[in-house]
Amino acid sequence: MFLQQLNPSLKALTIMVFIIFLATIFEPITPLLFLIWTVLITFLFGKVSWKKYLLYFSPFFIFALGMLWTSIAFADPPINPDEAINILSWSLPTENVLTALALALRVLNVAALSLLFVFTTNIVHFILSMMQQLKLPPRIAYAVLAGYRFLPMIRDELKIIHDAHLIRGVNQAKTPKEKMQNYKRYAIPLLASAIRKAERTAIAMESKGFTGDKNRSFYRQFTIGKLDFIFPLIMLIGFATAFFVSKQLGF
Amino acid sequence: MKPFVDVQNLTIRYETRQENALSSVSFQLKFGESLLLLGPSGSGKSTLTSCLNGLFPRELDGEMHGKIFVDGRENRDLLPGERSRKVGVVFQDPETQFCMLTVEDEVAFGLENLGIPNEEMELKIDAALTLVNMLSFKKASISSLSGGQKQKLALACILALEPALLIIDEPTANLDAIATKEFIETIKALRDKVTFSLIVIEHKLDGWTDITERCVLLNRQGEIFYDGSIRQALREQRQQLTREGIWIPRVTQFVLEQHPLLSNPPLTIEEFRENPLPIKEERIADHVSISSKPLVQARHLSWSAGNKEIVKDVSLTFHKGEFVAIVGANGSGKTSLSRILAGIRQPTNGSLLVKGKSLSKWKEAQLRQEIGYVFQNPEHQFITNTVYDEVAFGLKWKDTETIEIEKIVNDILESFGLLELKNEHPFSLSQGQKRRLSVATMIVDDQSFLLLDEPTFGQDSHTNTELMGLLKQRHQTGATIVMITHDMDIVADYATRVIVIGDGAVLADCSPHELWKMPIDKLMYWKLELPISVQLKKIYEGAASYVSTTT
Repeated sequence: MFLQQLNPSLKALTIMVFIIFLATIFEPITPLLFLIWTVLITFLFGKVSWKKYLLYFSPFFIFALGMLWTSIAFADPPINPDEAINILSWSLPTENVLTALALALRVLNVAALSLLFVFTTNIVHFILSMMQQLKLPPRIAYAVLAGYRFLPMIRDELKIIHDAHLIRGVNQAKTPKEKMQNYKRYAIPLLASAIRKAERTAIAMESKGFTGDKNRSFYRQFTIGKLDFIFPLIMLIGFATAFFVSKQLGF
Repeated sequence: MKPFVDVQNLTIRYETRQENALSSVSFQLKFGESLLLLGPSGSGKSTLTSCLNGLFPRELDGEMHGKIFVDGRENRDLLPGERSRKVGVVFQDPETQFCMLTVEDEVAFGLENLGIPNEEMELKIDAALTLVNMLSFKKASISSLSGGQKQKLALACILALEPALLIIDEPTANLDAIATKEFIETIKALRDKVTFSLIVIEHKLDGWTDITERCVLLNRQGEIFYDGSIRQALREQRQQLTREGIWIPRVTQFVLEQHPLLSNPPLTIEEFRENPLPIKEERIADHVSISSKPLVQARHLSWSAGNKEIVKDVSLTFHKGEFVAIVGANGSGKTSLSRILAGIRQPTNGSLLVKGKSLSKWKEAQLRQEIGYVFQNPEHQFITNTVYDEVAFGLKWKDTETIEIEKIVNDILESFGLLELKNEHPFSLSQGQKRRLSVATMIVDDQSFLLLDEPTFGQDSHTNTELMGLLKQRHQTGATIVMITHDMDIVADYATRVIVIGDGAVLADCSPHELWKMPIDKLMYWKLELPISVQLKKIYEGAASYVSTTT
């Protein structure tokens, strides 16, 4: 459960730094090894359910495969047969294959890093920590938090409006054009109520003394301690090792 | 002693309106005093709240004249942070008062705004939650709370800031009878524990009369027409109260109907108990015969959402000419059942027959001409851009001549008092007008089976009476009506049959009369209250038999 206890802001920064690092790598070995490292860390220190992980990871995997396929399929035929790889009676330039692999693995790496963050971080804590460590203005932070509460409400509301219109006999839409018109019809009641709700929330927040001022105290306090730096360190060790191995292999 | 709140000649006019929202409103409130502010919808009650909590004049599109002093200082000079220590407001809508996800974070939010040091917060949060009996929910997520619990949380958030003036703005408008009672009890208990001035803004008097004797009454023009004791208001201003659409306590209303000359009518059940009067149960008899042919038959309906079974094996038959009330506690599956009966939601199991034909064999358009459904919020059902089109919409489905449509629509709009608004957008109407429009569309659509989901919720007494009158009319002209309600007085006055739902199943299905005769603890367990008329009658009969046995 170590990953859950880390300071969310520092965790996010670390992940961003490594995504930038990865963007500078154009060979496949470093991203491959680092990918294994990241997934390993996620499961060792994050207590993430692997079913859920696979479910969220699979779209990225499909996307990466697609990228790999297109960059190989549209590669130019090899000029020099010595620098070619044969896959299923296909002759492809080694350079192109390696770049394609590197790109696909980069996508998977970004996915793995993001999932590590998403699965081990409470979104509310992240926003609160951003206010405390990264000086995010409270005005924006609390707007996001209030909006986060709104999402399920809007979903329920849309369902009700859909039902209500069905009852009045509008919903016999068959063509896409009619469907568009129906959605246009939902937009007005949905927006009207969303605006009203947002306004009420804003008034309620203000009457509890919210001014958007930066001088506020915090009930949940987030700090950065020595332990928080272990995570960037672990990741750095993984990345450096991957890079070193790849160099040893001659990439 | 200097008054804590001093409102002097307050006049507000919105930019978009011709008339004033508030006209020369003046009143004073001493520290620790309570005040009931009553007025119909559209009388400027919420405008007054906005002035007191400092939102106006800053955010006002319009003009403001007059002055408001809070604790000796002019309100507009106070900084927002300062003001929240003096004035706290609990608003009407339980859903939109929060910006955090858990109870403790929400209470902390206000304390954080004031910069209360972190070490002191925990204590203050616990204290505030204890005051409203919500300490056990400290770690709960807000979305898991019921409406009544949310309102108590909103109250706790304000109490944590220790304001000297507490304003509660129609706090129970969106709550059912039992949650309302509980909320009022909470406020009552608070008065003994903490000292603060209190302004209760309401359009319903029920339950609040114990808290204070003083009331300020607003009329539709936003003027104060009375400031004094409630009892005196009921004696001297009774007609104006009714004219303005302010709900007088139901006990009072009921007793006055039977004893119109009473000079000091009881305000609560307890007062009636002290001084019982003979009560006749007069039910306006309906002369609608109930056909023996079933109109809608539900067979073994069940419906699950996720892993939870919301509706459990419900079999019901509805006949032509019935006026059915569906009652039961919140979250018992009433709404889900009604949606299935209306054919909006597919049951997981079981079948539904309409006029003997299975639902799947009906064409959608034809089914909609048989079954109507009225949602709680009228706005959800508006689909066109003008009031006129809204009413005409239903007619266009039936092959009615254009000239005829025009005549029918105009007649209906006329009788609903909406004719001069016929080119307005439905969303720009007032709450009462919206409700009237939604009922007008339902009358034009003329379905034979009409389901309604708590249509009387949060309405002022005018709108309510009108709505029920129209429903009665529809019933007498041959419609079958099924209505979800929490209001047992409506059940007593209108229903021919009542169905009690609990935990997704049918607990009772009988006539209202039979329901009233059931043991009181059973009704309590089902979270049902007896209607006022029956309660009063029982009290009187109890008292009479007590007298007869002792003498």
